[in-house]
Formats: sequence, structure tokens, C-alpha cells
Amino acid sequence: MSQVPTTIDFRRNTQAVPAQMPAAVQKATAKFLGNRAVLVEALGNEYWQTLRQAGHDIRLHAITHIEHYLEKAEAAVTRAGGQVHWARDAEEARRILLDIAARHRVKLAVKGKSMATEEIGLNHALEAAGIRVLETDLGEYIVQLKGVGPAHIVVPAFHLSKEEIAALFHEKLGVDAPAEAEKLTQIARMKLREEFLSAEMGISGGNFLVADTGTIVTVTNEGNGRMCTTVPPVHVAVVGIDKVVPDWESLTVLLKLLARSATGQKLSCYTQFISGPPRSAAETGPREMHLILLDNGRSRILKTPACRETLLCIRCGACLNICPVYNNVGGYAYGYPISGPTGVIFASQILGPKVAGALPFASTLCGACNEICPVKIPITQILLHLRRRVVEGDETEDAAAPHSLRLGAQVGAVAIGTPGLYRLGSELLKRLQAPFVRGGWMPRLPAPLNRWTMSRPFPAFAADFRQWWRDRPAAGGKRGNNEPGA
Amino acid sequence: MSQAREEILGKLRQAYGRGPGAPVANIPPTARIVPRTTAAPETELAQLLTEIGKLSGVTRRVASMDGFRAALADLVRAEGVKRATCWTTPEMDAWGVAAALQALDVEIVPADADKYLVAACELGVTGVDAALPETGTLALTSSPDRPRVASLLPRVHLALLRPAVLRPDLHQVFAETQAAGYSVLISGPSRTADIELTLTLGVHGPKSLYVWVMEMA
Repeated sequence: MSQVPTTIDFRRNTQAVPAQMPAAVQKATAKFLGNRAVLVEALGNEYWQTLRQAGHDIRLHAITHIEHYLEKAEAAVTRAGGQVHWARDAEEARRILLDIAARHRVKLAVKGKSMATEEIGLNHALEAAGIRVLETDLGEYIVQLKGVGPAHIVVPAFHLSKEEIAALFHEKLGVDAPAEAEKLTQIARMKLREEFLSAEMGISGGNFLVADTGTIVTVTNEGNGRMCTTVPPVHVAVVGIDKVVPDWESLTVLLKLLARSATGQKLSCYTQFISGPPRSAAETGPREMHLILLDNGRSRILKTPACRETLLCIRCGACLNICPVYNNVGGYAYGYPISGPTGVIFASQILGPKVAGALPFASTLCGACNEICPVKIPITQILLHLRRRVVEGDETEDAAAPHSLRLGAQVGAVAIGTPGLYRLGSELLKRLQAPFVRGGWMPRLPAPLNRWTMSRPFPAFAADFRQWWRDRPAAGGKRGNNEPGA
Repeated sequence: MSQAREEILGKLRQAYGRGPGAPVANIPPTARIVPRTTAAPETELAQLLTEIGKLSGVTRRVASMDGFRAALADLVRAEGVKRATCWTTPEMDAWGVAAALQALDVEIVPADADKYLVAACELGVTGVDAALPETGTLALTSSPDRPRVASLLPRVHLALLRPAVLRPDLHQVFAETQAAGYSVLISGPSRTADIELTLTLGVHGPKSLYVWVMEMA
């Protein structure tokens, strides 16, 4: 489905956003945020903040001791009769999965919604190997039929109208589909029912991996996740190494946070706990269970202390819903299956500044994401670090910004840091801008600065703080109106 | 052990600048929460039924074996049930679930029969291992006599619950279910809002969820 891009041009992508996207996005995000707010209020803000702190602390503890918990999880899964595989990168994960599929002569695989499998571009690899792979989450099924990726991590097809979906079903499935949500859902149920029963392999992600018991936890509403992990004879879970949590007590916190933040439910319809394949031949369920632990750059994220908390994310999507940028452009503009603020900080590190250098700038730094995040990821702090990484480079990455931008930033840094130069510069700017100023604003500027003024005027540079400071009344004297009170 | 494993674990240790077997800090107390406190059993049960109702589940309190058989007859008629698959726990035997269904001309399909046959059942009958009043949630574990497909494949899921399985919070549920190889928390019938955010029931799992409280002595 989604292929890893060569470079992500966020600006150009935003220009390709369909006109109906912002309205559809805002309708969905407002609904999720509204439902969430009702539940948070019912719990009481004080308790909610305690929960968030607990969520943050348990996730931070888990990734701080990540290799310990991964080894523990591996041992537990193995004890339970599951098979554990380690994948350094996307290519290795795809190869492991293809090997398992080949051993079982898989012709059809059914898949539950999983951002990790989107991340590794699994569908392409399976199809290239002649294996049909079907997305079974209704929204994912629809976007797969349409041949695109998810526009939102929780509701992938929310930007399509029921008329568009009916037309799509007519074209791709050859069924006469009335444009009604209920009927369309029933058609998908019937079509996918067949596929679930005939598939030789079910593929899932995992919302959490419990180290104590080697349990893969999946949180879903439709039941497709249960189908994929119950009906086919082989179950393969692709799980990022960051998903590990120590024990089931951790889940009591995280499950309370996840569904409330994601869809405004107290708990999702189905929360599944899978510890290995069925223990007895007389028990229904898949005969074989594999867990693929995916690194794909996560260990690299942990190398930079300022960025580590990126991996606390539980993929609820609340930061997408509240983000003013996401609300105006939708998911596709980010050029990566995980979008919005959490997608930005994750993708820019996984893909590196050369590919995703534009993403850290796809934010207003308003901080709404920090406030809403159920595990308190300091998203804007990480964004600032990543912006600096793009421009200056750091211990893990070389700079990727154009040389001119870096030079400009360096000149700026020297000028701001040297009082004499700063004063000179501000005097100079005042004179240079004079021909462009119209009543305190600059409506038009020459290239390349016209990229700003094409859409809005630029405020004229006042540069009189130092003078104001010098001229202000002495301490104890009469204060000006706009000075802060004592 | 695989080279990939060693390399990933090595990179993780290196990221934190430590070697194998480094000490692990205790889980901080701030990462833990206190379970919800419970009200009187009758209040808890009422809350459970209210919450299940809010999730579009249909609840009923069953006080006698006769009442149970009559309710089952209503359900079979209303949902057009011809085939059913059931848990085979001692509790289900004691309630005579399979026999009562057979008496209503419903064919019982064993859960380990061909999956196409199980999927063709209109009704799946299961017990409940634990229930959470706050969220209207049922916890079901899996074992040979508790087939997981019974709550998944049929169009209608009937869950029979003893009041004794109510638990205050996830903590108590997990304490009991974490040793099971498989368990699932079910909150209402299968649902989606993927098409224009319109709530639609029964997308892949059961379209209807009936929860009956078995209160006979």
C-alpha cells in the first residue's frame, strides 16, 4: 500500500490536498475530540492527569529498560509455543514474513489494521511474491480498493463520502451498492467473510506486548482483528520493539487511556490478549503463531536522549485530531502512513532528514499535541530538536538543509549573539524595509521573501526595544500601562 | 541466536551506554493506579446492565430454568436461529443450554467442526469469565471447552453470566485471566464508524450481543 517515499515535499503535498479534505477531517476530529472530552470530564480532570502521568511513567520505564523487557517477552512467547523473529529493518521483516508464507504455501493473507505493516510496505512485498493480501479493517479495505494509504491512523477512509465508496464498490467488487453506511458495511462483511475463511495466514500488528507473559494485545472495534488472529491456521504479528510493556498492571493504565483518547470509548469493542498459539489441539485458533519484532530505526531514536520519548506513543491519534495543521491538510500531505504530530516526529527520525527533513517544519509549535497526549510526549520539544537536526545536524544525523539556509541561520546566530552587530543590523533593517512599509505592514516583498507576502502581509520591523528600554522611567517611577504589574 | 537479535539488543544497550545484564530500576509507584472501588453488588449489576445497554447490547435477568428456556425460545424465534455453536463448560451443561436449543429444533454445531459450518451458525452461546460494570465489558478466556470462535463467527452472541463474575476493575480481571493463553474483553457488539462516521453494528463480529444474568439458585 504505502511505499516509503524518496523525499517528502510537505509543501507540494499540501497543494494536492482535495478541496473536500479539510471539512471531512474537521468533522471527524471534532467528533472524536467531543466524545473524548465527555469521557475525560466524567473521570474528572484530576484523575485523568494522574492517569496520563502513570501512562507516561510506565511507557518511559519500559523504553528505558527496553532490551530487558524484550528479552523477557521473547522468552515468554517462546515458552508459550510462539516463534519469535527479530527484524533489523523493513526489508528483513518482509523477508521473514515471506519465508513463513512460502513455508505454508500461502495464497491469501488477511490483515488487521497495523501501522507497523504499513511502515514496512508489507502489502507490496506480498503482492510481488504472488500472494494476495487483503486489508480487513473496513476503512483500510476501502482505501486499499481505492489504491491509496490511510488518511488517518484510526479512521483511514474518513475523507470519502458514502457515494464515493458505493461507486468504488460497484467498480471494484461489481456489486450494486446503495450509498448507505449500513448496506455498504454489510457488503464488506459478506465479501470479507469468504476471505477470512479461505485465508491461509492472518497478519496483525500489536498495540502492546506484555513482557511478563509474552502477550500480544490488540485493540479493535470491528472484529476483523479477532478474525485475522483466530480463523486462519497461521498468525503472524508484526510489532515494533517500542510496544513492549512490563506487565498486565501496565495495561490497566494504558487501556484506560487508549480508547478514550482514540475514539472516545471507555474500552474498544474487542481487546484481545494472545499468548502463543492455542495450548491444546482441542482448542480452536491458529496452529502456529509468529512474532516479528521490528527495529527499523527505533534503536536509533533512543540514541538521542532529547528524542527518546517519541517511542512512548500508543498511536491513539488524539494529537492528529487536535492539530491545526493536520485539521487543514489531512493525512496524505505527510507522505507517510503515520501522520499528524506523532507521525512527524516518528517519520522524520525513521526516514532521516534527507527524506523527511520537511516534516519537523509541518507544525505551528502551538503545543496542543503536548496537552492532549495521553502519555505526555513533549512533542514540540522533540520537534524543535528535529528542526535543529535538519539545519545543523547532530550526533546521529548530518544536516540536510540547503547550504544557504544553514549559512543564513549561522549569520543570524552570530548577529543575535553580538550586541554591536545586532544593533547595526536592526538599524540597517529599518532603513532597508522603508520602501516596502505601508502603514506598519509590508504587503509586498521581493523574491524569495514574497513566498510569505503572497498569502499575507508581513509586519514591519519595529526594532525599538533597546531604545524603549533605555528611555523607560527609572525603577520606582511611574510605570507604563503595558508593563507587567509588580 | 540470530545475528539480527544480537545486533538489535546491542544497539539498544549502546543507545543507553550500558552492557548486558545492566540493573533494571523498579517500576516507579507513579506508574501505578489504584483500582476503582465497588458499590453494593446490586448497584454494580445494575451499572453493568446499563453500560451494556448503552453499547447496544440487550440484557435480561433470568431467575429460573423455566424462564431461561422461555427466553431462549424467544431469542431463537426473533433471530431466526437454525444452527448454534456453544461453549461446553460444566456451567453450560448445568444450565442445559445445548439440550434446550435442540428442543427448539436448533442444530448444535461443535466449535471444532469445519469453520465454514461454524461460520454459518446464527447463534453462538458462551459463558463469561469476568465482567466490568464501569465499561459494560465481558472477559472471555479460551480453552477446549471455551472455543473462541463461539463469540466471534455467529451473527448473534449470547453471553450467559453469573452475578459472581463481576469484578471492580481491570486489575482484578487481569489477575485471573493473564495465565490464560488467550482472552478477550468484549464491550458491545462489533461496530465501525469507518463510513462517514456513521455507527454501524455487526461489521465482522456479531451484529447482536445478548447478555443474560443467570440468577437461578
